[in-house]
Amino acid sequence: MEQAEVAIVGAGPAGLAAAALLAEHGADVVVIDERPRAGGQIYRQPPESFGGEGLPPGRSYAAGRALLAAAGASGLRWQTRTLAWGLFEPQDAGPVPEGAAAAWVVALADDGGIRRLAARHVLICAGAYDLPVAFPGWTLPGVMTAGGVQAFVKSEKLLPGRRFVLAGAHPLLLTVADQLLHAGAELAAVVFAQPAPRLSEGAAVAMRLRGRLTPVLELVGPLRRLRRHKVPLLFSHLLRAAEGEGALEAVRVAPISPGWRFVPGAELRFACDTLAFGYGFVPSTELPRQAGCSHRWKPREGGWVTEHDDWMRTSRAGISVAGETTGIGGAEQAAEEGRLAALGLLRELARLDRGQAARAAAPVRRRLRRRRALSGLVQDRFEPVYGALGALADDATVVCRCEEVTAGTVRSALATHPHLGTADAVKLLTRVGMGPCQGRFCMLTVASLIAEATGRELAEVGAFHARPPAKPLPLWQLATAWSDPS
Amino acid sequence: MARLRHGARRLTDGILRPAPVTVELDGEPLEAYPGESLATAMLAGGRRAFRATRSGAPRGPLCNMGVCFDCVVLVEGLGEARACMTAVHEGLRVHTGLQGDGAG
Repeated sequence: MEQAEVAIVGAGPAGLAAAALLAEHGADVVVIDERPRAGGQIYRQPPESFGGEGLPPGRSYAAGRALLAAAGASGLRWQTRTLAWGLFEPQDAGPVPEGAAAAWVVALADDGGIRRLAARHVLICAGAYDLPVAFPGWTLPGVMTAGGVQAFVKSEKLLPGRRFVLAGAHPLLLTVADQLLHAGAELAAVVFAQPAPRLSEGAAVAMRLRGRLTPVLELVGPLRRLRRHKVPLLFSHLLRAAEGEGALEAVRVAPISPGWRFVPGAELRFACDTLAFGYGFVPSTELPRQAGCSHRWKPREGGWVTEHDDWMRTSRAGISVAGETTGIGGAEQAAEEGRLAALGLLRELARLDRGQAARAAAPVRRRLRRRRALSGLVQDRFEPVYGALGALADDATVVCRCEEVTAGTVRSALATHPHLGTADAVKLLTRVGMGPCQGRFCMLTVASLIAEATGRELAEVGAFHARPPAKPLPLWQLATAWSDPS
Repeated sequence: MARLRHGARRLTDGILRPAPVTVELDGEPLEAYPGESLATAMLAGGRRAFRATRSGAPRGPLCNMGVCFDCVVLVEGLGEARACMTAVHEGLRVHTGLQGDGAG
């Protein structure tokens, strides 16, 4: 069985920053990522076969290039195209070699089958994915997440459609709109649920940023270019439905109140072949949930997040977390958390003594405090109104895309069984969350429907139980048994 | 070809792709570039629906990062695979189970 001092799951900003720092101090590290190249989603690189530079030139990807360069030069063991699908305690994962100081066995899968990695510490930097929102028509081909559309453009070098609508509530929409315009796409509209920004608000944010205006300016450029290209930019409007025969042909948007409920007013229809929806992000917590780490409901930070101490250690010994898994905060914050987690691990591995670790951590903590203040500003303005998003699903809308369970089915189950109050209970009764995506794309909608019907808080409704495998594996892969020599 | 094509197209400005290869999609040839994802090749080839659900509803790529499993196709030798996570190479044979390619 392969062994490592630290197994890092996820090669995005948090994982890369942690890996480079650990390797710099001589720790034995394996980095696991499902994609062929490191970078995560935010720094997702084009295929190696495309030649040239990985990340596009320019200021916005400079941090990513630096992280990739540092991790690339540090002599780490990489396991890309590899899925980490389970975290097992050694006694539950077959014979462990004698003398292996393993706290956890990480179950891996790749094109060759399944393997095990015995690790003293596991650092989970699993990132996030776009917040799923079940609105009528959201299952039509041509409806994509904003992150998905962006990945096609920046990494696959593909415009996934001709005429786009971008709708939602997250500033990423402006970045994607800008990238689409630059690539020559036609934009039918960009739609925000929030009211139009006011100058006074901008000034207040600038005050709180104490003159560091880069985050504000990063949004001003795209806004100016949208105006120059005469792209309709709507505020206080919400996506009501996607329409089309067999695939997306148009979307409808309608005016909303500050609480995101529809108000009387003209509904607008935009013809398009691709919709990018972006309401925010959900932390990927499948592995820490599976391992029994404690989680907390933090709606401003994307929902259920993994709890950690001030060295990024979770409630389970031997498992640390960093990056979006701990709450949505952006790439720079993720990288600082990765560094802090690495220093904590170096302290536990006795490669740094307590004093050294504390001294090395001080500047990281300072930067992290600034980053968290900044991401707090974003969260203040862009927190999604989960209840209103859940209410978008009419009774015919499919909520669980995998098992094709409609909102109507969930609502009538809740009406018939008034004792149902948790996501897991509704799952057992209706099959929501039992398909291949394992509830990633229905959990928050189901939770909203339960909250709406029962008056409970989303925190009380809970998350689906997470079990291995974290993503479905084909039977042939499981049938290979452990292919590693034990 | 009387195939309805929507607007997906590969960007070419300053991008050096390797020489194209041909993969087989539902028995028909599809041009693709080694290393790009099968989802990219299918969209660029005019496909919108990648699979049909049990009820017959068409589905295409949604998340493009391997978490939603809505772009799953049958790849010979691999089984059910996410088109967005499968890199294209010469000789890849893919089945969607959808007839009348591009109808979706």
